Amino acid sequence: MERQDRRSQILKILARSVRKIIDEEVPDIGKLQEIRMRTGQPLRITKESRDISLPEGAEEHIVTKEELRETMEYISRYSLYAYENEMRQGFLTVEGGHRVGVAGKVIMEKEKVKNIQYISSVNIRVSHEVIGCADTLLPYITKNRQVCHTLIISPPGCGKTTLIRDLIRQISDGNTYVKGCSVGVVDERSELGGCCLGIAQNHLGTRTDILDCCPKADGMIMLIRSMAPQVIAVDEIGTREDIHAVEYAMQCGCKLIASVHGLDMEEASRKPVLGELIRRRMFERYVVLGNGKHPGEIRGIYDERGRVLCKE
Amino acid sequence: MQRVVGSILIIIATTGAGYMYGAELSRYLEKMRYLRYVAGLIRGEMEYTCAPLPEVFRETGRRVKEPYASWLRHLAEETDRREESAFARIWNRSIDRDLKELGMKSEHSILLKEMGTFLGQIDRETSDRSMQLYMNRMDLEIEKLREGLASRKKIGNCLGVMGGIFLVVVLL
Repeated sequence: MERQDRRSQILKILARSVRKIIDEEVPDIGKLQEIRMRTGQPLRITKESRDISLPEGAEEHIVTKEELRETMEYISRYSLYAYENEMRQGFLTVEGGHRVGVAGKVIMEKEKVKNIQYISSVNIRVSHEVIGCADTLLPYITKNRQVCHTLIISPPGCGKTTLIRDLIRQISDGNTYVKGCSVGVVDERSELGGCCLGIAQNHLGTRTDILDCCPKADGMIMLIRSMAPQVIAVDEIGTREDIHAVEYAMQCGCKLIASVHGLDMEEASRKPVLGELIRRRMFERYVVLGNGKHPGEIRGIYDERGRVLCKE
Repeated sequence: MQRVVGSILIIIATTGAGYMYGAELSRYLEKMRYLRYVAGLIRGEMEYTCAPLPEVFRETGRRVKEPYASWLRHLAEETDRREESAFARIWNRSIDRDLKELGMKSEHSILLKEMGTFLGQIDRETSDRSMQLYMNRMDLEIEKLREGLASRKKIGNCLGVMGGIFLVVVLL
């Protein structure tokens, strides 16, 4: 399947009435960050960090239950059954790596979330591919044209996925700072590659192998055994299994690039299993992101001993 | 002499028509069996890959013959286009358009259209159960067709020959 442009990827998942409004009101989809639809509430978007209700300068469009139902049909491509596992986590990823968060009535089974029905809110987070956003970071996380084990620490919505995506592309293709090498990507939520039918819709470089929709812990081990990557990249590690797999990958001679939710290094080192890896100085570089002036802002880069290499 | 030749031709023609009727019944049964096979492939693809419907149709379409292949290909394209608020509408329209040449009886067409009302709309477990239920109903219909087939073929053949003789008698 050919790469589709970002605009059509977003427009085709919206109910037709909402599609028309967004099409008319948002000429530049590159600036769009979020579309929020809540039953009985105005249609809202976040553009250049500003919260706007649509249409601008006219009577607000109130989102109806029917529009939400139609949007869900399009998002799931009329196939809600195929997104059962994702729905359990409260979000699903659509073509292009755009993340759709949902809220509604939760169905429980054996004290676990089984599904979500009567969906009353949808939040579409537009994925942005910012080519070159890792340019400033790359010199700090490479040594002798080799990548260091790097952990990116960032609160949600600060651009860590965008940053990792560009890092993968640059490491895979190679440049002045890093020698091009094979990169294995475990893309559990299809956010990095935005794969459609197994083909990445985002540019991840010429030496990149992607395991799409694969659990991170299993995926890392599968990649090491099957694709012999020199670098492994994963987004949002969190569970105990993920972190054990990260450690395993590091001990297999692969360089690792991972991201984790957190405010700063202190918070990351307080996490139960990850903290242990940090104390053992397994990671050679830590990159802390913030959302000050713009998403993806680097607040600090630290080495394995926690010494500052660069600060905003 | 001309009368004899004419009579023989009439009898051959009506016998042929009777035979054609029987063959058509067999062909119809085959079509229904193939449709059931296609439904089985769709179910298997949904269960095994858990892929969304457009992918399921595209993949199944590669493995079946015409006109089912074009039907599934068109379905995949239309569902991917996301222009219709409900999947059932796309499904029904595609049946009327792409499977017209099968000449399905209205009850079988309705049965097939019913499948579109639950496809993709529910969780995996319920979806699988509904598909199984639908396939059981198809099996029942096929069984009904198969049971009546031999006797109806025989009636068709007999009527063909007898009709021919009757026509010859009347004309003579």
